[in-house]
Amino acid sequence: MSHTPVYIICSPRPLVGKTLMARLLSEFLLLKNGNVVSFDINLKEPSLLDYLPKTTETADVIDTYGKMQLMDRLIVDDGIAKVIDLGFHAFDEFFKMSDEIGFLKEAARRRVAPIILFVADTDRVSARGHEMLLRQIPASALVTIDNEYVVRGELPAAMSGGRIVRIGALPAFLKTYIDRLNFSFTDYLRNEKDSSTELHQWVRRNYLGFREMELKLILQR
Amino acid sequence: MSKPVVIVVGADKGGVGKTTVSRTLLDYFSANNVLTRAFDTESPRGTLKRFHPEITEIVDMTTTSDQMKIFDTLNAASPSVTVIDVRAGLLSPALASLRDIGFLDAAKTGQITFAVFHILGPSIASLDEIAETANFMSGAKYFLVKNFINDTQFFQWDQATYNSYFHRIKDATELTIPKLNEMAYEQVEVSSVPFLKFVANKGVHDEAANYSFVLRGYVRHWLANVWSEFDRIKLTDLVGATKPVTRGGEK
Repeated sequence: MSHTPVYIICSPRPLVGKTLMARLLSEFLLLKNGNVVSFDINLKEPSLLDYLPKTTETADVIDTYGKMQLMDRLIVDDGIAKVIDLGFHAFDEFFKMSDEIGFLKEAARRRVAPIILFVADTDRVSARGHEMLLRQIPASALVTIDNEYVVRGELPAAMSGGRIVRIGALPAFLKTYIDRLNFSFTDYLRNEKDSSTELHQWVRRNYLGFREMELKLILQR
Repeated sequence: MSKPVVIVVGADKGGVGKTTVSRTLLDYFSANNVLTRAFDTESPRGTLKRFHPEITEIVDMTTTSDQMKIFDTLNAASPSVTVIDVRAGLLSPALASLRDIGFLDAAKTGQITFAVFHILGPSIASLDEIAETANFMSGAKYFLVKNFINDTQFFQWDQATYNSYFHRIKDATELTIPKLNEMAYEQVEVSSVPFLKFVANKGVHDEAANYSFVLRGYVRHWLANVWSEFDRIKLTDLVGATKPVTRGGEK
Protein backbone atom coordinates (compact mmCIF):
# COMPACT_ATOMS: atom_id res chain seq x y z
CA MET A 1 0.00 0.00 0.00
CA SER A 2 1.30 3.49 -0.79
CA HIS A 3 2.07 6.18 1.75
CA THR A 4 -0.48 8.80 2.77
CA PRO A 5 0.61 12.06 1.11
CA VAL A 6 0.68 15.37 2.99
CA TYR A 7 1.18 18.33 0.67
CA ILE A 8 2.44 21.46 2.42
CA ILE A 9 2.07 24.54 0.23
CA CYS A 10 4.23 27.30 1.57
CA SER A 11 6.14 30.51 1.07
CA PRO A 12 7.47 33.15 3.46
CA ARG A 13 5.84 35.75 1.21
CA PRO A 14 2.18 36.77 0.94
CA LEU A 15 0.20 36.84 -2.30
CA VAL A 16 2.32 34.43 -4.32
CA GLY A 17 -0.52 32.02 -5.10
CA LYS A 18 -0.44 29.55 -2.20
CA THR A 19 -4.19 29.46 -1.75
CA LEU A 20 -4.71 29.10 -5.50
CA MET A 21 -2.32 26.13 -5.47
CA ALA A 22 -4.08 24.65 -2.46
CA ARG A 23 -7.46 25.01 -4.19
CA LEU A 24 -6.21 23.41 -7.39
CA LEU A 25 -4.49 20.54 -5.62
CA SER A 26 -7.37 19.90 -3.22
CA GLU A 27 -9.86 19.77 -6.09
CA PHE A 28 -7.55 17.52 -8.09
CA LEU A 29 -7.15 15.06 -5.18
CA LEU A 30 -10.87 15.13 -4.47
CA LEU A 31 -11.57 14.32 -8.11
CA LYS A 32 -8.96 11.58 -8.27
CA ASN A 33 -9.38 9.93 -4.85
CA GLY A 34 -12.90 10.91 -3.85
CA ASN A 35 -11.62 12.45 -0.64
CA VAL A 36 -9.15 15.01 0.67
CA VAL A 37 -8.69 16.95 3.87
CA SER A 38 -7.33 20.47 3.58
CA PHE A 39 -6.04 22.66 6.37
CA ASP A 40 -6.14 26.42 6.19
CA ILE A 41 -3.37 28.09 8.18
CA ASN A 42 -4.01 31.60 6.95
CA LEU A 43 -4.96 34.56 9.04
CA LYS A 44 -3.96 37.38 6.76
CA GLU A 45 -4.53 36.13 3.23
CA PRO A 46 -7.49 34.98 1.13
CA SER A 47 -8.72 31.87 2.79
CA LEU A 48 -8.95 28.33 1.46
CA LEU A 49 -11.81 27.78 3.87
CA ASP A 50 -13.92 30.29 1.92
CA TYR A 51 -13.38 28.39 -1.33
CA LEU A 52 -13.65 24.79 -0.16
CA PRO A 53 -15.62 24.83 3.09
CA LYS A 54 -16.72 21.18 2.82
CA THR A 55 -13.20 19.76 2.81
CA THR A 56 -11.26 22.42 4.69
CA GLU A 57 -10.51 22.82 8.36
CA THR A 58 -8.78 25.76 10.00
CA ALA A 59 -5.63 25.24 12.03
CA ASP A 60 -2.87 27.30 13.55
CA VAL A 61 0.67 26.88 14.76
CA ILE A 62 0.66 29.85 17.13
CA ASP A 63 0.56 27.80 20.31
CA THR A 64 1.30 24.22 21.31
CA TYR A 65 -2.37 23.26 21.43
CA GLY A 66 -2.86 24.39 17.82
CA LYS A 67 0.26 22.51 16.77
CA MET A 68 -1.04 19.34 18.42
CA GLN A 69 -4.43 19.69 16.73
CA LEU A 70 -2.75 19.98 13.36
CA MET A 71 0.28 17.71 13.53
CA ASP A 72 -1.41 14.82 15.32
CA ARG A 73 -3.81 14.69 12.35
CA LEU A 74 -1.09 14.95 9.73
CA ILE A 75 0.91 12.06 11.11
CA VAL A 76 -1.89 9.51 10.66
CA ASP A 77 -1.61 7.00 7.80
CA ASP A 78 -5.32 6.91 6.97
CA GLY A 79 -4.97 6.87 3.19
CA ILE A 80 -6.58 10.32 2.86
CA ALA A 81 -4.37 12.91 1.19
CA LYS A 82 -3.91 16.14 3.14
CA VAL A 83 -3.28 19.61 1.76
CA ILE A 84 -1.90 22.38 3.97
CA ASP A 85 -2.27 25.98 2.89
CA LEU A 86 0.47 27.44 5.07
CA GLY A 87 0.20 31.21 5.46
CA PHE A 88 3.39 33.23 5.13
CA HIS A 89 3.24 34.32 8.76
CA ALA A 90 3.34 30.67 9.89
CA PHE A 91 6.22 29.62 7.61
CA ASP A 92 9.12 29.96 10.07
CA GLU A 93 7.25 28.60 13.07
CA PHE A 94 5.89 25.58 11.20
CA PHE A 95 9.27 24.42 9.91
CA LYS A 96 11.03 25.20 13.20
CA MET A 97 8.47 23.06 14.98
CA SER A 98 8.64 20.30 12.34
CA ASP A 99 12.38 20.14 12.74
CA GLU A 100 12.20 20.07 16.53
CA ILE A 101 9.61 17.34 16.79
CA GLY A 102 11.18 15.23 14.04
CA PHE A 103 8.13 15.35 11.77
CA LEU A 104 9.84 13.92 8.68
CA LYS A 105 11.39 10.97 10.49
CA GLU A 106 8.20 10.09 12.32
CA ALA A 107 6.23 10.48 9.07
CA ALA A 108 8.53 8.01 7.33
CA ARG A 109 8.07 5.53 10.17
CA ARG A 110 4.29 5.84 9.93
CA ARG A 111 4.05 5.59 6.14
CA VAL A 112 3.12 9.22 5.71
CA ALA A 113 4.79 11.17 2.91
CA PRO A 114 5.14 14.93 3.42
CA ILE A 115 5.76 16.84 0.20
CA ILE A 116 6.75 20.48 0.52
CA LEU A 117 5.50 22.66 -2.33
CA PHE A 118 7.48 25.88 -2.11
CA VAL A 119 5.91 28.72 -4.08
CA ALA A 120 8.86 30.66 -5.46
CA ASP A 121 9.36 34.40 -5.60
CA THR A 122 12.34 36.52 -6.59
CA ASP A 123 12.92 38.39 -3.32
CA ARG A 124 15.50 37.78 -0.56
CA VAL A 125 12.97 36.45 1.98
CA SER A 126 11.98 33.71 -0.45
CA ALA A 127 15.62 32.91 -1.20
CA ARG A 128 16.36 32.52 2.52
CA GLY A 129 13.22 30.43 3.03
CA HIS A 130 14.18 28.15 0.17
CA GLU A 131 17.73 27.76 1.52
CA MET A 132 16.31 26.77 4.89
CA LEU A 133 14.08 24.15 3.28
CA LEU A 134 17.00 22.76 1.26
CA ARG A 135 18.86 22.18 4.53
CA GLN A 136 15.89 20.63 6.27
CA ILE A 137 13.93 18.74 3.62
CA PRO A 138 15.28 15.89 1.48
CA ALA A 139 15.43 16.95 -2.17
CA SER A 140 12.98 14.16 -3.03
CA ALA A 141 10.28 15.77 -0.86
CA LEU A 142 10.80 19.37 -1.98
CA VAL A 143 9.02 20.72 -5.05
CA THR A 144 9.34 24.30 -6.26
CA ILE A 145 6.24 25.93 -7.69
CA ASP A 146 7.12 28.22 -10.56
CA ASN A 147 4.07 30.45 -10.71
CA GLU A 148 4.46 32.47 -13.89
CA TYR A 149 2.11 35.12 -12.53
CA VAL A 150 4.61 35.77 -9.70
CA VAL A 151 8.12 35.13 -11.05
CA ARG A 152 7.40 36.17 -14.64
CA GLY A 153 9.69 33.56 -16.14
CA GLU A 154 12.61 34.52 -13.91
CA LEU A 155 12.75 31.66 -11.46
CA PRO A 156 15.89 32.25 -9.35
CA ALA A 157 18.75 29.93 -10.31
CA ALA A 158 19.04 28.64 -6.73
CA MET A 159 15.49 27.32 -6.96
CA SER A 160 15.85 25.77 -10.41
CA GLY A 161 17.84 22.72 -9.37
CA GLY A 162 15.23 20.39 -7.94
CA ARG A 163 11.80 19.25 -8.98
CA ILE A 164 9.64 22.04 -10.41
CA VAL A 165 5.92 22.32 -11.14
CA ARG A 166 5.06 25.18 -13.47
CA ILE A 167 1.80 27.11 -13.23
CA GLY A 168 1.08 29.30 -16.23
CA ALA A 169 -0.22 32.85 -15.82
CA LEU A 170 -3.84 33.51 -16.65
CA PRO A 171 -5.10 36.72 -18.26
CA ALA A 172 -6.47 39.18 -15.72
CA PHE A 173 -10.13 38.61 -16.66
CA LEU A 174 -9.78 34.84 -16.15
CA LYS A 175 -7.96 35.37 -12.88
CA THR A 176 -10.86 37.47 -11.66
CA TYR A 177 -13.19 34.69 -12.82
CA ILE A 178 -11.43 31.91 -10.90
CA ASP A 179 -11.06 34.12 -7.82
CA ARG A 180 -14.83 34.06 -7.27
CA LEU A 181 -15.61 32.13 -4.10
CA ASN A 182 -18.12 29.83 -5.79
CA PHE A 183 -15.77 28.86 -8.62
CA SER A 184 -14.71 25.23 -8.81
CA PHE A 185 -12.02 24.01 -11.22
CA THR A 186 -13.46 20.50 -11.42
CA ASP A 187 -17.01 21.77 -11.93
CA TYR A 188 -15.70 23.97 -14.70
CA LEU A 189 -14.03 21.00 -16.43
CA ARG A 190 -17.22 18.99 -16.13
CA ASN A 191 -19.65 21.68 -17.23
CA GLU A 192 -17.75 23.61 -19.85
CA LYS A 193 -18.44 21.89 -23.16
CA ASP A 194 -15.76 23.73 -25.07
CA SER A 195 -12.49 22.07 -24.07
CA SER A 196 -10.47 24.47 -26.21
CA THR A 197 -10.96 27.45 -23.90
CA GLU A 198 -7.84 28.88 -22.28
CA LEU A 199 -9.14 28.20 -18.79
CA HIS A 200 -10.11 24.62 -19.64
CA GLN A 201 -6.64 23.91 -20.92
CA TRP A 202 -5.01 25.71 -17.99
CA VAL A 203 -6.88 23.56 -15.45
CA ARG A 204 -6.18 20.36 -17.36
CA ARG A 205 -2.51 21.26 -17.70
CA ASN A 206 -2.26 21.82 -13.96
CA TYR A 207 -4.11 18.61 -13.12
CA LEU A 208 -1.76 16.76 -15.45
CA GLY A 209 1.21 18.42 -13.71
CA PHE A 210 -0.07 17.17 -10.36
CA ARG A 211 -0.53 13.68 -11.74
CA GLU A 212 3.05 13.64 -12.99
CA MET A 213 4.29 14.95 -9.67
CA GLU A 214 2.43 12.16 -7.85
CA LEU A 215 3.77 9.55 -10.21
CA LYS A 216 7.36 10.68 -9.74
CA LEU A 217 6.93 10.63 -5.98
CA ILE A 218 5.53 7.11 -6.09
CA LEU A 219 8.32 5.90 -8.38
CA GLN A 220 11.10 7.28 -6.20
CA ARG A 221 9.81 5.49 -3.06
CA MET B 1 34.13 -4.05 41.61
CA SER B 2 33.87 -0.44 40.44
CA LYS B 3 33.98 2.46 42.84
CA PRO B 4 30.60 3.52 44.25
CA VAL B 5 29.25 6.70 42.73
CA VAL B 6 26.95 9.09 44.57
CA ILE B 7 25.26 11.92 42.74
CA VAL B 8 23.40 14.47 44.81
CA VAL B 9 20.91 16.69 43.02
CA GLY B 10 19.78 19.62 45.08
CA ALA B 11 19.24 23.29 45.71
CA ASP B 12 18.30 25.29 48.72
CA LYS B 13 15.60 27.02 46.73
CA GLY B 14 12.36 25.28 45.81
CA GLY B 15 10.80 24.99 42.36
CA VAL B 16 14.01 25.16 40.38
CA GLY B 17 13.68 21.72 38.78
CA LYS B 18 15.68 19.37 41.01
CA THR B 19 13.43 16.40 40.41
CA THR B 20 13.26 17.13 36.68
CA VAL B 21 17.06 17.00 36.46
CA SER B 22 17.12 13.83 38.60
CA ARG B 23 14.66 12.26 36.19
CA THR B 24 16.80 13.15 33.18
CA LEU B 25 19.80 11.62 34.94
CA LEU B 26 17.95 8.37 35.63
CA ASP B 27 16.78 8.25 32.02
CA TYR B 28 20.32 8.96 30.81
CA PHE B 29 21.80 6.17 32.89
CA SER B 30 19.04 3.81 31.84
CA ALA B 31 19.70 4.58 28.16
CA ASN B 32 23.42 4.03 28.72
CA ASN B 33 22.87 0.72 30.53
CA VAL B 34 24.21 2.05 33.82
CA LEU B 35 22.45 0.34 36.73
CA THR B 36 21.25 3.01 39.09
CA ARG B 37 19.30 3.33 42.32
CA ALA B 38 17.68 6.52 43.51
CA PHE B 39 16.63 8.06 46.78
CA ASP B 40 13.92 10.63 47.00
CA THR B 41 14.16 12.79 50.09
CA GLU B 42 10.76 14.35 49.61
CA SER B 43 9.44 12.33 52.52
CA PRO B 44 6.70 11.15 52.94
CA ARG B 45 5.56 11.78 49.32
CA GLY B 46 8.13 11.47 46.60
CA THR B 47 7.82 12.94 43.14
CA LEU B 48 10.84 11.07 41.83
CA LYS B 49 9.38 7.78 43.06
CA ARG B 50 6.21 8.47 41.10
CA PHE B 51 8.20 8.48 37.85
CA HIS B 52 10.79 5.81 38.67
CA PRO B 53 9.09 3.59 41.26
CA GLU B 54 11.16 0.45 40.63
CA ILE B 55 14.50 2.00 41.48
CA THR B 56 13.51 4.77 43.89
CA GLU B 57 13.15 4.68 47.63
CA ILE B 58 11.79 7.51 49.73
CA VAL B 59 14.05 8.47 52.62
CA ASP B 60 14.24 11.16 55.27
CA MET B 61 17.82 12.35 55.10
CA THR B 62 17.59 14.07 58.43
CA THR B 63 17.30 10.74 60.25
CA THR B 64 20.31 8.61 61.04
CA SER B 65 18.54 5.39 60.08
CA ASP B 66 17.83 6.62 56.56
CA GLN B 67 21.35 8.04 56.21
CA MET B 68 22.58 4.52 57.06
CA LYS B 69 20.18 3.08 54.49
CA ILE B 70 21.86 5.17 51.80
CA PHE B 71 25.50 5.34 52.74
CA ASP B 72 26.11 2.07 54.56
CA THR B 73 24.90 0.17 51.51
CA LEU B 74 27.08 1.93 48.95
CA ASN B 75 29.57 -0.89 48.66
CA ALA B 76 27.03 -3.65 49.04
CA ALA B 77 24.44 -2.34 46.62
CA SER B 78 24.54 -3.91 43.17
CA PRO B 79 23.93 -0.73 41.16
CA SER B 80 27.09 1.21 41.77
CA VAL B 81 25.46 4.54 40.99
CA THR B 82 23.24 6.23 43.55
CA VAL B 83 21.25 9.35 42.69
CA ILE B 84 19.87 11.33 45.61
CA ASP B 85 17.21 13.93 44.90
CA VAL B 86 17.54 16.28 47.86
CA ARG B 87 14.44 18.24 48.63
CA ALA B 88 14.36 22.04 48.73
CA GLY B 89 16.19 23.63 51.63
CA LEU B 90 18.04 20.48 52.53
CA LEU B 91 21.13 20.70 50.33
CA SER B 92 23.40 22.55 52.74
CA PRO B 93 22.28 20.53 55.82
CA ALA B 94 22.65 17.31 53.80
CA LEU B 95 26.19 18.22 52.78
CA ALA B 96 27.00 19.15 56.37
CA SER B 97 25.74 15.73 57.47
CA LEU B 98 27.87 14.04 54.82
CA ARG B 99 30.89 15.92 56.07
CA ASP B 100 30.09 14.95 59.67
CA ILE B 101 29.83 11.24 58.91
CA GLY B 102 33.14 11.29 57.02
CA PHE B 103 31.60 10.78 53.61
CA LEU B 104 33.23 13.86 52.11
CA ASP B 105 36.62 12.70 53.37
CA ALA B 106 36.06 9.35 51.67
CA ALA B 107 35.32 11.21 48.46
CA LYS B 108 38.45 13.31 48.91
CA THR B 109 40.62 10.21 49.28
CA GLY B 110 39.08 8.70 46.19
CA GLN B 111 37.22 5.81 47.79
CA ILE B 112 33.94 7.13 46.45
CA THR B 113 33.09 9.20 43.41
CA PHE B 114 30.93 12.05 44.59
CA ALA B 115 29.17 14.59 42.38
CA VAL B 116 26.79 17.38 43.20
CA PHE B 117 24.37 18.81 40.69
CA HIS B 118 23.49 22.16 42.16
CA ILE B 119 20.35 23.38 40.44
CA LEU B 120 20.15 27.14 40.17
CA GLY B 121 17.02 29.18 39.96
CA PRO B 122 16.85 32.53 38.25
CA SER B 123 17.31 34.72 41.33
CA ILE B 124 20.09 36.23 43.39
CA ALA B 125 18.93 34.21 46.39
CA SER B 126 19.49 31.04 44.42
CA LEU B 127 22.89 32.19 43.22
CA ASP B 128 23.93 33.01 46.80
CA GLU B 129 23.69 29.31 47.58
CA ILE B 130 26.71 28.67 45.40
CA ALA B 131 29.10 30.25 47.89
CA GLU B 132 27.55 28.34 50.75
CA THR B 133 27.62 25.00 48.97
CA ALA B 134 31.13 25.52 47.65
CA ASN B 135 32.54 25.12 51.16
CA PHE B 136 31.72 21.41 51.02
CA MET B 137 32.96 20.74 47.55
CA SER B 138 36.58 19.75 47.88
CA GLY B 139 36.88 16.20 46.64
CA ALA B 140 33.57 16.38 44.81
CA LYS B 141 32.68 17.06 41.21
CA TYR B 142 30.62 20.19 41.39
CA PHE B 143 28.17 20.96 38.61
CA LEU B 144 26.35 24.26 38.51
CA VAL B 145 23.16 23.56 36.62
CA LYS B 146 21.46 26.51 34.98
CA ASN B 147 17.95 25.22 34.59
CA PHE B 148 15.99 27.35 32.16
CA ILE B 149 12.54 26.81 33.62
CA ASN B 150 11.62 30.20 32.18
CA ASP B 151 13.30 32.77 29.96
CA THR B 152 15.78 33.81 32.59
CA GLN B 153 19.24 35.00 31.53
CA PHE B 154 21.10 34.13 34.77
CA PHE B 155 22.51 37.66 34.72
CA GLN B 156 24.54 37.00 31.59
CA TRP B 157 23.64 40.52 30.51
CA ASP B 158 25.56 41.80 33.56
CA GLN B 159 28.99 40.25 33.26
CA ALA B 160 30.20 41.46 36.67
CA THR B 161 27.31 39.83 38.53
CA TYR B 162 27.55 36.72 36.38
CA ASN B 163 31.28 36.32 37.00
CA SER B 164 30.95 36.96 40.70
CA TYR B 165 28.75 33.90 40.96
CA PHE B 166 29.74 31.53 38.23
CA HIS B 167 33.48 32.05 38.24
CA ARG B 168 33.87 32.14 42.00
CA ILE B 169 34.46 28.41 42.30
CA LYS B 170 37.49 27.23 40.43
CA ASP B 171 36.56 23.65 39.63
CA ALA B 172 32.83 24.02 39.12
CA THR B 173 31.46 22.95 35.76
CA GLU B 174 28.50 24.78 34.29
CA LEU B 175 25.66 22.85 32.77
CA THR B 176 22.66 24.16 30.90
CA ILE B 177 19.25 22.53 30.95
CA PRO B 178 17.07 24.11 28.24
CA LYS B 179 13.43 24.93 28.74
CA LEU B 180 10.91 22.23 27.92
CA ASN B 181 7.65 23.19 26.25
CA GLU B 182 5.10 23.73 29.04
CA MET B 183 2.38 21.51 27.60
CA ALA B 184 4.85 18.72 26.96
CA TYR B 185 6.05 18.98 30.54
CA GLU B 186 2.49 18.87 31.86
CA GLN B 187 1.60 15.89 29.69
CA VAL B 188 4.55 13.93 31.07
CA GLU B 189 3.48 14.94 34.58
CA VAL B 190 -0.03 13.65 33.98
CA SER B 191 1.19 10.40 32.46
CA SER B 192 3.56 9.74 35.40
CA VAL B 193 6.13 7.95 33.25
CA PRO B 194 9.85 8.60 32.74
CA PHE B 195 10.69 10.93 29.85
CA LEU B 196 12.08 7.96 27.92
CA LYS B 197 8.83 6.03 28.12
CA PHE B 198 6.90 9.13 27.09
CA VAL B 199 9.07 9.54 24.00
CA ALA B 200 8.56 5.85 23.20
CA ASN B 201 4.78 6.32 23.58
CA LYS B 202 4.53 3.83 26.43
CA GLY B 203 2.45 3.83 29.59
CA VAL B 204 3.41 3.03 33.17
CA HIS B 205 3.43 -0.72 32.55
CA ASP B 206 5.02 -0.49 29.09
CA GLU B 207 1.64 -0.71 27.41
CA ALA B 208 1.09 1.27 24.19
CA ALA B 209 0.00 4.82 24.98
CA ASN B 210 -1.50 7.57 22.88
CA TYR B 211 0.50 10.69 23.70
CA SER B 212 0.52 13.56 21.26
CA PHE B 213 3.15 13.18 18.57
CA VAL B 214 3.93 16.90 18.86
CA LEU B 215 4.50 16.74 22.61
CA ARG B 216 6.58 13.58 22.29
CA GLY B 217 8.65 15.35 19.66
CA TYR B 218 9.26 18.29 21.97
CA VAL B 219 10.29 15.98 24.80
CA ARG B 220 12.59 13.95 22.53
CA HIS B 221 14.26 17.12 21.24
CA TRP B 222 14.66 18.53 24.75
CA LEU B 223 15.93 15.27 26.22
CA ALA B 224 18.50 14.96 23.43
CA ASN B 225 19.74 18.46 24.28
CA VAL B 226 19.95 17.65 27.99
CA TRP B 227 21.79 14.44 27.30
CA SER B 228 24.23 16.19 25.01
CA GLU B 229 25.12 18.31 28.05
CA PHE B 230 25.65 15.12 30.08
CA ASP B 231 27.80 13.79 27.25
CA ARG B 232 29.77 17.02 27.26
CA ILE B 233 30.67 16.63 30.92
CA LYS B 234 31.49 12.93 30.26
CA LEU B 235 29.02 11.70 32.81
CA THR B 236 29.32 8.08 31.74
CA ASP B 237 33.08 8.25 32.29
CA LEU B 238 32.46 9.71 35.72
CA VAL B 239 30.29 6.77 36.72
CA GLY B 240 32.65 4.27 35.14
CA ALA B 241 30.45 3.13 32.23
CA THR B 242 32.44 1.88 29.31
CA LYS B 243 30.29 0.91 26.37
CA PRO B 244 28.68 3.65 24.30
CA VAL B 245 25.17 2.69 23.23
CA THR B 246 22.59 3.88 20.71
CA ARG B 247 19.99 5.79 22.62
CA GLY B 248 16.32 5.89 21.77
CA GLY B 249 15.69 9.32 23.24
CA GLU B 250 17.73 11.10 20.63
CA LYS B 251 16.72 12.11 17.16
